[in-house]
Amino acid sequence: MPTDTIPGTPPAPVLRSGPAQELSANPTYLEAVGAALDHEMERDPNVFIIGEDVGQFGGAFKVTKGFLDKYGPRRVVDTPIAETGFTGLAAGAALVGLRPVVEFQFADFISCAFDPIINVLARHHWRTGDPMPVTMRAPFGGRLRAGPTHSQSVESYFAHVPGLKIVMPGTPEDAAGLLISSIRDNNPTLYLENKYLYRRLRATGPLSMEPIPLGVAKVVHPGKDITLVTYSAGVHQGVEIAQELDKEGISVEVVDVRTLVPLDVETIVNSVKKTSRCVVLHEAAKRLGYGAEIAATIQEEAFWHLDQPVVRIGAKNTPTATSPPLEDAIIPQPAEIAETLRKVARA
Amino acid sequence: MSKTDKKAGSETLEGRDPELLRRVYEVMVLTRAVEDRMVAMYRGGDLLGSLYTGHWHEAISVGAASCLRPDDYMAPIHRDLGAHLWRGMEPWQVMASFMGKATSPTGGRDGTLHYGRLDLGIYNLPSHIPANFPVATGMAFAAKYRGEDKVCLAFCGDGSTSRADFHEALTLASVQSLPNVFVIENNQYAYSTPLRLTSHSAKLSDKAVAYGIPGVTVDGTDVLAVRDAVGEAVARARAGDGPSIVEGVTMRMHGHAEHDPADYVLKELYEEYSKKDPVELFENVLLKGGVLDDDTVKKVRDDARQLAIAARRKALADPMPEPSNIEEGVYAD
Repeated sequence: MPTDTIPGTPPAPVLRSGPAQELSANPTYLEAVGAALDHEMERDPNVFIIGEDVGQFGGAFKVTKGFLDKYGPRRVVDTPIAETGFTGLAAGAALVGLRPVVEFQFADFISCAFDPIINVLARHHWRTGDPMPVTMRAPFGGRLRAGPTHSQSVESYFAHVPGLKIVMPGTPEDAAGLLISSIRDNNPTLYLENKYLYRRLRATGPLSMEPIPLGVAKVVHPGKDITLVTYSAGVHQGVEIAQELDKEGISVEVVDVRTLVPLDVETIVNSVKKTSRCVVLHEAAKRLGYGAEIAATIQEEAFWHLDQPVVRIGAKNTPTATSPPLEDAIIPQPAEIAETLRKVARA
Repeated sequence: MSKTDKKAGSETLEGRDPELLRRVYEVMVLTRAVEDRMVAMYRGGDLLGSLYTGHWHEAISVGAASCLRPDDYMAPIHRDLGAHLWRGMEPWQVMASFMGKATSPTGGRDGTLHYGRLDLGIYNLPSHIPANFPVATGMAFAAKYRGEDKVCLAFCGDGSTSRADFHEALTLASVQSLPNVFVIENNQYAYSTPLRLTSHSAKLSDKAVAYGIPGVTVDGTDVLAVRDAVGEAVARARAGDGPSIVEGVTMRMHGHAEHDPADYVLKELYEEYSKKDPVELFENVLLKGGVLDDDTVKKVRDDARQLAIAARRKALADPMPEPSNIEEGVYAD
């Protein structure tokens, strides 16, 4: 284990050269997150990672495997179980010039840091004019049979709070480029990683380490009959369904919003103006899920272009269950999504 | 009530820099003068909400802040006007904050007790104290990360010691050996809650045992006792030996804020502490030790009063903020 702990010595930027982890030819979503973090830590000595088990253990999901060897314990900081503490620590470090990346082991545990996120990080710049460049990474979501307190989608808790940015990549390529932009951003940014995608999605080729700007949505599957607005795991799910519906003669345009805050209203509205029909999909509970904001924005901006009311698909308003038949009954399934798209497209 | 550990404090002025002693005294007198003036402003209707003062906290806030270098960091609370003034905050800025003026440190976006200036190394805290404790660990972390020998001094009250922020910050600071000094201003009451309902510890500094760090309790009305204890803790932090807790025991001589008559406070406590005004105590020590004479005392007190009067005049005349840019700055560029 490295011993980079002598007081009065600035940290060596890198203790070992080369990538922290070897990437596969078609890197997974998980590898993309790690590679982007590695890229930024190598590029900027002010970037450090802090969280539970991120060092020697490499993180609960192994995003930071190899980081301790490469960067040492000053820049890969294992913490006690103290989410309020290390989130506040990140705020203080950011105020005096560092760029902390906080890892929450599961997004469910971010509730333990609700207070510093809302009251310390989010409103500090508006109150004082001091930048608060903190990136908060958190694996979220269901389908891993992890139950009510290990499967939550937390984005709506935070989307209501002025001063936070919310980033939710749906592909390995976006996971890399959006994490790089999040770390370089001067605002507290919640970067939500869909843990179901970690080892299930692979990039189509080698990853680019070019930043992808926050606030730019992407049409990931062009279509003309109906728009599906979604993010995170909804993206590959939506594209697969769109390919199926193509065969039935329903042309679905899938828009991946990529960042919830800031939201690229223009790309969404342009698509809806073209198709005149829209379904919004997310894995979070439907009631006051982010889809409500998207649907309301569409009716404000494109009401007279709509042939049908905007329909929302989200999880049932229950906690997420553990047992597969129960969890599947709660989280939107492909058949339900396809059926809703058919119904709205043909209505 | 907490017992104090024995500390020499004001028993002797031997080996102390008279110039520094005079400065500490001046800032304590100024703190009292500004707060007395602000109490009058509260009663006269000049201020927006309530007024949170630090009467009888002057020895802790000024004494502790006086142990820092200008490039150190500080995360104070609402009883610490003295610490702000020590580091260069202007009295009129504080008044402007309590009035929601455009010239307040937050331009009226935040206000009352929420003021601070990062250019003076002072964190501007939210209401959720001790949220400033974890932030203070981060400032100290950054200093250590960069190999600088800066320290971060954080303050909280007796009530704050119950919260998770306190425990998590102390845990992090101790396991990471961060250059922090945590000062607990034990003024016996958390709003109306007496100490016996806040803590079962004999001393709040006993909590240090659990973190494996030094903890000491001193008479918080004795500025030199505070300086000695905090000075030792700062030196330790600066040397890379990690954090400490210093508890100063005093009494909240006004309500939680000025709207609060504090009729729940035991009369005996007021009686006991009315004889322990930290500003008067220090003044007498300096007079007896020949550091001050009667004329100097009168001049320092007159100057402070005039400064407070001038500060009020400026704050009153300052403009209120314009709402036209209210949506700007939610995000940094």
